[in-house]
Amino acid sequence: MTFTMKQAGTMKQAGLALAMTGALSSVAFAAHAEEEVQKGGTAVIHMISEQRILNPGLRASTGVYNITGKIMEPLIDKSYEGYEPVLATEWSGSDDGLTITLKLREGVRWHDGVDFTCDDVAFSAMELWKKLLNYSSALQANLESVDCPDPHTAVFNYSKPMPLELFVAAMPDLGHPVPKHLFEGTDILKNEYNTAPVGTGPFKFVEYERGQYVMAEKNEDYWREGYPYLDRIVWRFIKDKSAAAAALEAGEVQESGFIGVSMADVERFSQDDRFEVGTMGYENNVAHSTVEFNHRNPILADRKVRQAMYHGLDIDYAIKTIMHGYAKPGRGPIPSAGGINYTDDVPIYDYDPELAKQMLDEAGYPVLEDGYRFHLRHRPAPWGEYTQLWAEYYAQAMKEIGIDVEILTNDAPGFLNGVYRDHDFDTANGWHQFRSDPAVSTMVWLRSGQPEGTPWTNQFGWKDEEMDAMIDAAASELDVEKRAAMYHEIQAREMEELPVIFAIEHPFISVTSKKLHNHHNTPRWNSSSWYDLWLEQ
Amino acid sequence: MTLADTEIAPPEPPRYVMFWRRYKRNRAALLGLFLFALVVLMALTAGIIDPGDPLRRAGEPLTPPFMNWDTPLGTDQLGRDVLSGVFYGARISLLIGVVATLVAIVIGVVIGALAGYFGGWVDDVLMRITEAFQTIPNFVLLLTLVAIMGSKIEWITIAIGIVSWTAPARMVRAEFMSLRHREFVDAARNLGVSNTSIIFREILPNAMPPIVVYASVIMALSILMESALAFLALGDPNYASWGNMIGQGRAVLRSAPYCAVIPGIAIILTVLSFSLLGEGLNDALNPRQKK
Amino acid sequence: MTLHMPPILTYALRRLVQAIPVVILIMIGTFLLLKLAPGDTVDALVGDMGGADAAFIARLRAEYGLDQPIWVQLWRYMVKLASFDFGWSFVYEQPVATVLMDRVGTTLMLMAASLSIAFTAGIVLGAIAARRAYSATDNLISILGLVFYATPSFFLSLMLMLVFSVKLGWLPVGGIKTIAAFYTGWDHVWDVVRHLIMPTTALSLIYLAFYLRLMRASVMEVADLDYVRTARAKGAREGRLMTHHIMRNALLPVVTLLGLQFSTVLGGSIVVETIFTLPGLGQLAYQSVVQRDMNTLMGIIFLCAIIVVVVNFLTDLLYARLDSRIELA
Repeated sequence: MTFTMKQAGTMKQAGLALAMTGALSSVAFAAHAEEEVQKGGTAVIHMISEQRILNPGLRASTGVYNITGKIMEPLIDKSYEGYEPVLATEWSGSDDGLTITLKLREGVRWHDGVDFTCDDVAFSAMELWKKLLNYSSALQANLESVDCPDPHTAVFNYSKPMPLELFVAAMPDLGHPVPKHLFEGTDILKNEYNTAPVGTGPFKFVEYERGQYVMAEKNEDYWREGYPYLDRIVWRFIKDKSAAAAALEAGEVQESGFIGVSMADVERFSQDDRFEVGTMGYENNVAHSTVEFNHRNPILADRKVRQAMYHGLDIDYAIKTIMHGYAKPGRGPIPSAGGINYTDDVPIYDYDPELAKQMLDEAGYPVLEDGYRFHLRHRPAPWGEYTQLWAEYYAQAMKEIGIDVEILTNDAPGFLNGVYRDHDFDTANGWHQFRSDPAVSTMVWLRSGQPEGTPWTNQFGWKDEEMDAMIDAAASELDVEKRAAMYHEIQAREMEELPVIFAIEHPFISVTSKKLHNHHNTPRWNSSSWYDLWLEQ
Repeated sequence: MTLADTEIAPPEPPRYVMFWRRYKRNRAALLGLFLFALVVLMALTAGIIDPGDPLRRAGEPLTPPFMNWDTPLGTDQLGRDVLSGVFYGARISLLIGVVATLVAIVIGVVIGALAGYFGGWVDDVLMRITEAFQTIPNFVLLLTLVAIMGSKIEWITIAIGIVSWTAPARMVRAEFMSLRHREFVDAARNLGVSNTSIIFREILPNAMPPIVVYASVIMALSILMESALAFLALGDPNYASWGNMIGQGRAVLRSAPYCAVIPGIAIILTVLSFSLLGEGLNDALNPRQKK
Repeated sequence: MTLHMPPILTYALRRLVQAIPVVILIMIGTFLLLKLAPGDTVDALVGDMGGADAAFIARLRAEYGLDQPIWVQLWRYMVKLASFDFGWSFVYEQPVATVLMDRVGTTLMLMAASLSIAFTAGIVLGAIAARRAYSATDNLISILGLVFYATPSFFLSLMLMLVFSVKLGWLPVGGIKTIAAFYTGWDHVWDVVRHLIMPTTALSLIYLAFYLRLMRASVMEVADLDYVRTARAKGAREGRLMTHHIMRNALLPVVTLLGLQFSTVLGGSIVVETIFTLPGLGQLAYQSVVQRDMNTLMGIIFLCAIIVVVVNFLTDLLYARLDSRIELA
């Protein structure tokens, strides 16, 4: 009996080691590259949620890029070697940080045959990126104008210094030009091309059947000679994770990204030789599973209580059981995928329930007659499966150190409203999604003064003047090294003060049929253009 | 039981004996009774089987059944004991079934009785409201109610009751319409008995048998609705409920099927028991059906 | 054709007119209910897109008219609806009418297939069970019907999928057609049928028990009536008795149920549509609630109301044909 269990445990670990070893996967990719490329065929991709706006210039979300990244291209993309020129071929910044100059690729045509020029970039930057694109509108708040000295040069003028590093890091996600001739003079939000995109990418939009699929076909006029390999890509919307797993097994779908099947099925597929399972290709899309505190509650406003609660969470156990090993313990707001801006030199909180209990006693919260120290109302993000399990584990773990947690379940608008507008919660859990640079969407979790009703920002009633000053200073620092050092300090302070517990860092996971080749070969592969993807017939 | 009192039939055995004789004639109904007793027993003994919190970590996560006698039916993804979940889940299911049914029957009886007894514009208005409720798909209405108040078990139960009252209302109305002009009602009215009294003391008891039978249908549907909510991740995770167990077990359906299958069987048997019970009651309470 | 309307037609038309205030009541009720729910469609959209800044959120809300008082929003909606303008879906960025038209076909196919199978199987099995009441056959039929009814629909659906798609590979996992296969003509029809087999089976197995139980009870009751006894006493054969005397009357309550079930089945199909990723109205209704897509939900409810009214109207007529002696209130 014990033997079987042990054996199962070892097998599990072995499977994980295999899947987590990036090196091994790269060897596999290299091997594929040498095989004879087969042209043609239709790749079917699973999407768990339906994206209705198919315009990355209007909606910054991985779900949108997953489809439109093949149809519309950004100025700059990211590869494992660094930043890769796409529609922009060169970039440079002035010493004062006030202008950024881009050289644009020549001979590129939109799918309708019109030439791509600087006018498109200027229009997109001023009308969409600055005004309408979520996250980008904060980033480009100081953008004054975009000049076009010639059709293939774009000059971005800022009123305050814009670090070139930040600009370039943001471009893969927040730098998709739209065709000016189709958007100018229209109501941009209701423009018909928002749901029938026209881009410069390797695939042309064909049709979008609501609730079912989006289809794109090969762009014969693509600027990369000889690409793409595939004839067609279909994105199928399958909301239920068990149904998605069945579709993969039945061979109806070749890839499911962003953890589109349950974590238990991820593990099962990792032992199935028809599939490759891994976290490659998500280096740029990392998320934290969080525990968020409402500091308006006087108990939780006590730092010692928050620290004690962190000691009460067995993060390694949660990683093993809930995430099936595909995760690591969080080390503050910046994930280990954050490159130079990340440090692990921060205070950490080992699992120690006895210490947790002792600290809670010291903080003045002994166990009362009803068996609990205090009661908390917890709002879990309704993102399903492992987010739900994490909420239930949190409640379970808190009970063990004498804190009663009542879980209040709502649908998504109810959850977002309850936490980020009404502040009607004690604790909450959900995701913090890191977007390649801490300035894009991470610092708003810590900076005070965020307007009410803005999800995934500091709505926790936490205000720390020192932290605010540190964040502001880092935002306008142009020197890469100094900037990184400042973010290291921010991380350390966050881990000390614990306004939020960034408990588990998890990359996303893809399950891919071995019939697909050249996949997951860039750090934001699911969002990239797939011009070199091919299918074994 | 005014009607029964007036029709004196001395050679008949006592009512409950007659009732039982009619009931047990249906062997399927006996099976239903047995299963129902089993569920009640599980609900009553949950605290004895496992005195602890059914949601606590009881062992290594995803231990298969019959591997460890501390957790004989295995554990789920968070190490929660499946056996204890099934027993405590019986409490929640019965609670949801009984309370939701009571809510539905009370609303249905009041509206149906008023409409059927008074007729005229009262009937018109109440029936229009009933039709409005019947037109909105009840599960969509349930989802909307849960969206409003969140997924607390108390509210889920009441909301299930709120979406289930239209059928009993129509049945009560029909019974009242056929009974309101009977002699015993007219007699009571002539004696100056108040409307409330006539409705609740005279007519209602005679209108009850079909309602009692229909109650079993609502109980069965309530449990299924709770499990469907849990499937859509709108259950109340603060309680071990069978719906929640299957809802989460579905994620491990292929690698640890027992997590979903065991509570699934519990739901099937319980809903089956309510339905069979209903059949038996129907045979026993409906004297027109003889063999 | 004729000026003398048969009484059944007058009755049915009167019910049609009575339906108008009901529909208005439903629309206002639905609107207010969804407004009671916390959060609005902008919250849902921002949640979907992974966040946005405050100015963006405020602008979206103004764009959609969600910054107006509730009564203004309701009034604007009802005025538009009066001219059958269902408005714009902010979630789908399409007119609601288009969104609904895309889905209605799938739902009607699914429902028509499921209900007719459940209905036909239900009356046949119900009649058999009633004629052999309390026998082993009766118990077997009743219990089997009830077991399917007692199985949570998602459980049944997932089991079907595991067996017929994953293990046997006979049927497609989900969707309404094979994408990018570009079938035409009969190939297309066959393709759609193959996609509908499992969801239809799941739904009809679940609803089978309703018709079966009702038919069994109804046949038993009718079989006991005097005219049937008389016919039997006169030596009518059992088979003929069933088809000529009993069925006709026993079907009445079952047909009524069929009319009443449309909304129930639409609600019940939510789960089945979700698992088999069928682009139908049930799934759309669920999505509209959790995304606070007011206009789309209102459109679906309106459509339901119209369908229920029409089905009731047809049921009334059918009822009259089945029982010419029906007394009209």
